[in-house]
Amino acid sequence: MRKAVLITLAVTGLLCTTCALCIYANGRFLANGNLPPVVFPNDNPQTDAKVRLGRQLYFDKRLSSDGTISCASCHRPDAGWADLTSFSEGVAHQKGGRNAPSIINSAFTIPQFWDGRATRLEKQAVGPVQNPVEMDLTMADMEARLSAIPGYVEQFAEVFGSKPIEKSVAKAIASFERTIICDDTPYDRYVAGDKSAMSAPAVRGMNLFNGKGHCSSCHSGPNFTDSRYHNLGVGYAAGKFADPGRHNVTKDPKDMGAFLTQRLRCIAKTPPYLHDGSEKTLMDVIDLYNRGGVPNPNLDRLMVPLNLTQREKNDLVAFLEALSGPFPMDKEPPLPNPELTVDKLPRLIGGGK
Amino acid sequence: MRRVNGWILAIAAVAGIAGSVLPVQAVPVFARKYGFNCTMCHSNFPRLNDFGVRYRQNGYRLPGRENEEKTVLESPAPFAMRTSAGYNYDKFKSTPGSANVNEFQLNGLDVLSAGLIGPNIGYFMVYTPQINGSRGVAAQSGVLEMASVVFSSIGSSMLNVRAGRFEPAYVAFSAKRSLTVSPYEAYDFAFPGGSALSDMQTGVEITGYNRRGFSYAAGLVNGSASGNSDDGAADVYFRAAKVFGPGEGQTTGQRIGVIGHFGRGRGTPGSPPTLSTRESYSRFGLDASLNCDRFNLALQYLRGDDDKALWDAVSDVTFSSGLAELSYLPATSLVGFARYDWVNTGDLGQNVRRWTVGGRYYFQDNIALHLEYSDRTQNQLSLPNATERFFTTRVDFAF
Repeated sequence: MRKAVLITLAVTGLLCTTCALCIYANGRFLANGNLPPVVFPNDNPQTDAKVRLGRQLYFDKRLSSDGTISCASCHRPDAGWADLTSFSEGVAHQKGGRNAPSIINSAFTIPQFWDGRATRLEKQAVGPVQNPVEMDLTMADMEARLSAIPGYVEQFAEVFGSKPIEKSVAKAIASFERTIICDDTPYDRYVAGDKSAMSAPAVRGMNLFNGKGHCSSCHSGPNFTDSRYHNLGVGYAAGKFADPGRHNVTKDPKDMGAFLTQRLRCIAKTPPYLHDGSEKTLMDVIDLYNRGGVPNPNLDRLMVPLNLTQREKNDLVAFLEALSGPFPMDKEPPLPNPELTVDKLPRLIGGGK
Repeated sequence: MRRVNGWILAIAAVAGIAGSVLPVQAVPVFARKYGFNCTMCHSNFPRLNDFGVRYRQNGYRLPGRENEEKTVLESPAPFAMRTSAGYNYDKFKSTPGSANVNEFQLNGLDVLSAGLIGPNIGYFMVYTPQINGSRGVAAQSGVLEMASVVFSSIGSSMLNVRAGRFEPAYVAFSAKRSLTVSPYEAYDFAFPGGSALSDMQTGVEITGYNRRGFSYAAGLVNGSASGNSDDGAADVYFRAAKVFGPGEGQTTGQRIGVIGHFGRGRGTPGSPPTLSTRESYSRFGLDASLNCDRFNLALQYLRGDDDKALWDAVSDVTFSSGLAELSYLPATSLVGFARYDWVNTGDLGQNVRRWTVGGRYYFQDNIALHLEYSDRTQNQLSLPNATERFFTTRVDFAF
């Protein structure tokens, strides 16, 4: 009798300890959940004036060589701060080689661009400005132009205490981008305790997302990205990749065809999908994963066929749609000195078409 | 009876505690660590899916995310339990030493612990506490069933080392992760006193895999030494497998494998009770795991060659054995299975036939309603055939 009691107590005690430690540790480090507050970099504290300036710069087409393209041309507010076409159009109607990613919640991600070549938002912000296919403006030209616009000179002096220079332009645009947040989705409300916030299919989809769908092995954490690079085989044909992806940055053969895991909040608002915009709908993307990606020598070990049923695929789509909620809409604000069009600003000194 | 009540209370208390404090998707060990559901690694718990196989191959680390992994000290408590309870009907005929069962029973308890000790050092332990059999409680030996450490990716994925007590890689279809309660006859058939092939073994094993679907394993383990600790490690084995297509052959891709197992054992044949010298035995086998849509066909063929002394026979004993199991997964929450096991022993006259059918319905990832019927017949020379009819319906759960 005594032995039985001791065993019972021992087992119960062990399990109670286990459960208590689970609660205490709560360290399920790949779990999703609500977004934390935005953390602003020490060297770029957020101010209202800086965000206002960044917003103007974001919408100002004078940051492109021919005055036709702004950040907002490809990262359109009305398209989920992305673009509805596979490849956006830059200056002189040139087409880019990658789908414009949404800037929604980019505040929470360290690597930027599909290949992660920018390690912070401030470095990303002026990348497209210099890209010859996108806005095609050298930093010298950009600084010269902005310095010739009195309204900007005044604001830069107020915000940064200096004339417009590359670093302060980057900081202002990054500050504005950090305000484009989507964090009030049915999923967020569900996680916060409102169990009626998501439909039954979406809840089933969430369980698939964290289980049979294998989604959360990469789309992990509150921002639904591991900020790492994975090879899905997209763009692989005839023995080679149309786009080397991360390999362009690292030159590591293992990174050939690998691209940054994308954030998923408001994903339903930003078709088409993947780095080349090759999948038009969320169901198309799920079908790709269900097939286990595109076989290639570098295919990520996390990619395996999923054997999802049609109902399970529908549930996953329902969950991804539940990750979408209201996000800041915007339109071009009044810009300083709009009468100073590009033909009236200093001539290009750094090239451009 | 009071002891039975104690266990029932303990399990009930645990279930209650677990149900009240864990998230909706209560999940064991690894799943708890990551915040995943069981179905991340299991097509149908306890069977692994392709992703689960890769996770295990990679030393309990997510492929490609090794640098982010947390050790057991940085993770939730790395403990989990598995048990089942339900109605068992087990009727024997002409089988001396086997007692009939016809009652509700608790069916044992596994206490598991697993995780990473270091960046590339994982461990896996299973402890089964001793449970004295009584009405309503199936007996269980208290034993540290598994306790192994695995050193992963030593230079590359082609070299991993596991040491300790573990399920050897020559078992193509894990008995620990089988969908059925009924054992694999091909793995369990052994000379008197010998270890079943599916038994855990103590020793060391090296494994490796590459991206082209090839994997291998080789090991040195104690084997069937009949508890004689002075016998030294007696068994060596190898396994090689190749997967064609995507996946690991669990739910996608087609896997074929070959095993070889060479050992020396004393056994405990009728006379003399224990051999004074060790005698040799070997197993050679082929296996396949074939997938088509939602069907999986698992095939195992084994040929055994045992020294006559191990059986107290007049000549060496050669036998063949195998299994063919078809499982069907119409949905994540449901799996059906049917299996045929056989052992042909020729002149030895111990042929075994077993049919098993059943299914599992998952209330959620880690709680399954298990139904199974199994019919077993074994030839007995100069005796009526020994038969067993087994039926169970039970709730199998892990948390």
